Amino acid sequence: MSVRTSSPSVGRAPANGDRAGDELSSPAPRRAAAPAASTRRRRAADWRQVMEIAVLVGPALVIFLAFVIFPVVMAGYYGFFRWKGFGPPTDFIGLQNYVTIVQDPTFHEALWHNLVIVVMSLVLQGPLALLLALLLNRPMRGQSAIRVLIFVPYVIAEVVVGTGWSLMLQSNGALNGLLEKVGLGALAQDWLSNPDLAIWTLLGIITWKYVGFAVILFLAGLQGIPQELTEAAQIDGASYWQIQRRITLPLLGPTLRIWAFLSIIGSLQLFDLVYIIWGQYIASTAGTSTMATYMVANGRNAGNYGYGSAVAVVLFLISLVVALVYQRFVLRRDTAGALTERSDR
Amino acid sequence: MNRRSITRLVTLGAVAAVALGTVTGCSTGDSGSEDGSVELTFWHNSTTGPGKAYWEETATAFEAEHPGVDITIQSVQNEDMDGKLQTALNSGDAPDIFMARGGGKLAAVVEAGQAQDLTDALSDDTKTALGEGSLAAFSVDGKIYGVPSSVLPGGIYYSKDLFEQAGITETPTTFDELGDAVDKLKASGIAPIALGAKDAWPAAHWYYFFALRECSQDVMAELATEPSFSDECFLRAGEDLQEFAATEPFNDGFLTTSAQQGAGSSAGLVANHKAAMELMGAWDPGVIASLTPDEQPLADLGWFPFPAVDGGDGGEGAMMGGVDGYSCYVDAPKECAEFLEFASQKAQQEAYAEAFVTLPANKDAQGVVTDPALQEVLASYNDAPYVSVWLDTLLGQNVGNALNVGVVDLLAGKGDPQGIVDAVEDAIKKG
Repeated sequence: MSVRTSSPSVGRAPANGDRAGDELSSPAPRRAAAPAASTRRRRAADWRQVMEIAVLVGPALVIFLAFVIFPVVMAGYYGFFRWKGFGPPTDFIGLQNYVTIVQDPTFHEALWHNLVIVVMSLVLQGPLALLLALLLNRPMRGQSAIRVLIFVPYVIAEVVVGTGWSLMLQSNGALNGLLEKVGLGALAQDWLSNPDLAIWTLLGIITWKYVGFAVILFLAGLQGIPQELTEAAQIDGASYWQIQRRITLPLLGPTLRIWAFLSIIGSLQLFDLVYIIWGQYIASTAGTSTMATYMVANGRNAGNYGYGSAVAVVLFLISLVVALVYQRFVLRRDTAGALTERSDR
Repeated sequence: MNRRSITRLVTLGAVAAVALGTVTGCSTGDSGSEDGSVELTFWHNSTTGPGKAYWEETATAFEAEHPGVDITIQSVQNEDMDGKLQTALNSGDAPDIFMARGGGKLAAVVEAGQAQDLTDALSDDTKTALGEGSLAAFSVDGKIYGVPSSVLPGGIYYSKDLFEQAGITETPTTFDELGDAVDKLKASGIAPIALGAKDAWPAAHWYYFFALRECSQDVMAELATEPSFSDECFLRAGEDLQEFAATEPFNDGFLTTSAQQGAGSSAGLVANHKAAMELMGAWDPGVIASLTPDEQPLADLGWFPFPAVDGGDGGEGAMMGGVDGYSCYVDAPKECAEFLEFASQKAQQEAYAEAFVTLPANKDAQGVVTDPALQEVLASYNDAPYVSVWLDTLLGQNVGNALNVGVVDLLAGKGDPQGIVDAVEDAIKKG
C-alpha cells in the first residue's frame, strides 16, 4: 500500500507576506472614500515598509554595486584604451581592441576550446551523473561510501586538484609509472603536452571533478519525485526502464535544465584548472586555452590592461547572451511565475 | 630566494584588489616632517631565510646612521610582486623603495612618471663601483632610475658528476661539442638538459642566447630604443634553435616542467641529479641549493658559457643576463636615494652576495664570491666584451611576452622560426 506523503511545496503559491500588492490593486474610489486618518496610517505604513526594505537591502546593494557592477563598468571603459596599467588611461583607441580580438586566431582557438568544453561537459557528465544518481537513489550496500567517493573531487579546491593531476600526469609521473608497472607501457602518453591529447585530458579531469555536483543536484531532484507515481506505474505493470523514461526523466526535467545551465556558464568561464595545470604560457600551445586564460595571458601577463579589459567584456557578453537565450527558451517553463514578466501563453 | 619574476599567480580579482601597502605620510620629496622624522616603506621579494634577514639588518644599520628615519619593510612573494606593485603605483600609495629589473618594464614606470631620477643622488664613487654596464640597465634617456643590487649573467650550469659518468671530459665550447655531450649523456641514460618551458622564459633563454651569438652588438643594443626583429639574424637564431631542439636534448615532458617549483622543476632535476645541464641566470645556484635533498648547495655544480655558434655576428664571449635592483617612488623623500646608496656600499654588498648566493653589483664586493660555479661566471663576466640584458626585459612586458610564447610554440612543434619573428613584429605594432 502506498503511504500518502503530502508535499506542501508542490503546487502551492508562495505565501504572500506583504500586503502591498493588495493595496495597489484595490480600486481607487474605495481608497478616496476612506477616512483621512486611515489613509495617513496607511501612508505611514507604506513609508515604513520602504524604509525596512532600504535598511535590509541597502548594505548588500552597496557592496554589490561597488564590487560587481562598478568593476564591470570600469572594464568596459578601460576596453576602449591602449593602457599599460600605469596611471589613468589616456590613449583612447575606440574599438581597436575589439577588432584585434575578433581577428586574433589565438582567441578563435580559445573560443573553440570553450565550445568543446561546453558541449563535452554536457555529453560526458549528464548521462554519467544520471546513472550514478539513479544508482544512489535506491538502498544498496556501500551507498554512502560511493557517495563520498563521487562528491570528494567536487569539494576539493580547484588549485589542489590541478596541482595533483598535473603531477600525476607528467610524462614521468604516477599515471605513466602505473601503466609501466602493469605492463601497459605502450599506453603511456605525454598527457599534458601532446596538443592532440591535452584537451581530452582536461575534459577527463573536468568530468572527474564536476560530476559530483551534477549527482548532488539530480539526487535532490529525485527526492522530489512523489513515490506514488512510480508505485502506480509498477502496479500497472511498467518495467523499470519504462518508469525511468516516462516518469523519472520528465519529472527531473527542471533539475536537468538548471544543471545544464550552470554547467554551460561554468564551462564558458573555465579558468583555474587550466591555469594551474598548464601555467600562464603553454595553454594555447597545448591546445587547452580558454577565453579566460587568453584574457590573463594577453592582458595581465603582457601588461596590456586595456586589451585584457576588452577581452573580459567579450567574455561577459558571450556569457550574458548565452544565459539570456537559455533562460528565454529553455528555462521558461521552469521559471514561469518566478520572473516578473508575464508569460502570455 | 632571489628569483626572476615571471610567474605571477594572481587571480582575476586581484587586478581590482586593493593594495595593502602602508601609506607613507606627507613626504613630498624634500624632507620629512618638522622634527626630522622620516618614514620609508620598502618592498622586496625575499620571503625566506637569509635574504629577508639581510634586508632587515641593512635597514636597521641605516636607521642607526640616520636618526629619525624609520623603514617599514614588506616582503612580497616574487610571483605577486609585479601585480601588487602595479596596483600600488596606480592607487598613488606606492612604496618608497621598490624592486625593479630595468629594461622595458622600468621604462614603462618611468614613462608614467612614477620613478625618481637618481642621477644626481648617487655619488661618483658608487657609480664607479657599480659600473656603467649594470647602471645602463636602469637608465632611461641617460638618467638613472634605479640602483642595481646584483648582476645575474646567464650560462649553462651542469653537474660535474654526471658529466664524468657520461665520460665527458671537457666542457663544451661549440655547438658540435655540446651535441656530442648530449649524445653521451643520453647513451648513459641521463636527461641531458633540464628545461622549464611551462614558465616560458626558461625556454626563451635558449632563443635569446642564439640571438646573442647570431646578432651583432649594434643590433642587440638597438632593440632597447627601436624594437624590431627585421634583421635576419633573429630568423637565424630561430633556425639554430629549431635545429638544436630536433636533437631532443631536453628532459621528457619539458613543456609542462616548471622552472623553480619543487623537485620536478628544471632546477630540481639538476639538484637531484636527474638532469645534467640547465641554461639559467646567476640566481640558479641559490635556487638549486634550496631544492637539493639536504637543502645545501650542490657540491658538484659547475658552469660554462653558452657555446659559440659558427658564423654568428655576436661578439666572442658576449654575455647576457639580468640585473636586480631597486628604484624610488617619484614622491619618496630624499632618504630613499640615501638608503639605496648605503645598500650599494662594499660591506653591504658583500653581505648581500653571501645571503643570496649570487654576484653583487658592486665590483669591490665581488671578492666574497666563493661558490665555484659563480666564480666561473664572474670570470667570464669580467672578460665579456659586452653584456646584453635578457631580451624579454629589454623589449618590455608586451613584446617580451609574445617572444617567449613564440619560442615555446616552436619547441612544441606548433610554430617555426618565422613565426617567432612575426609574433614579435605583431606585438611591436600593438604597442
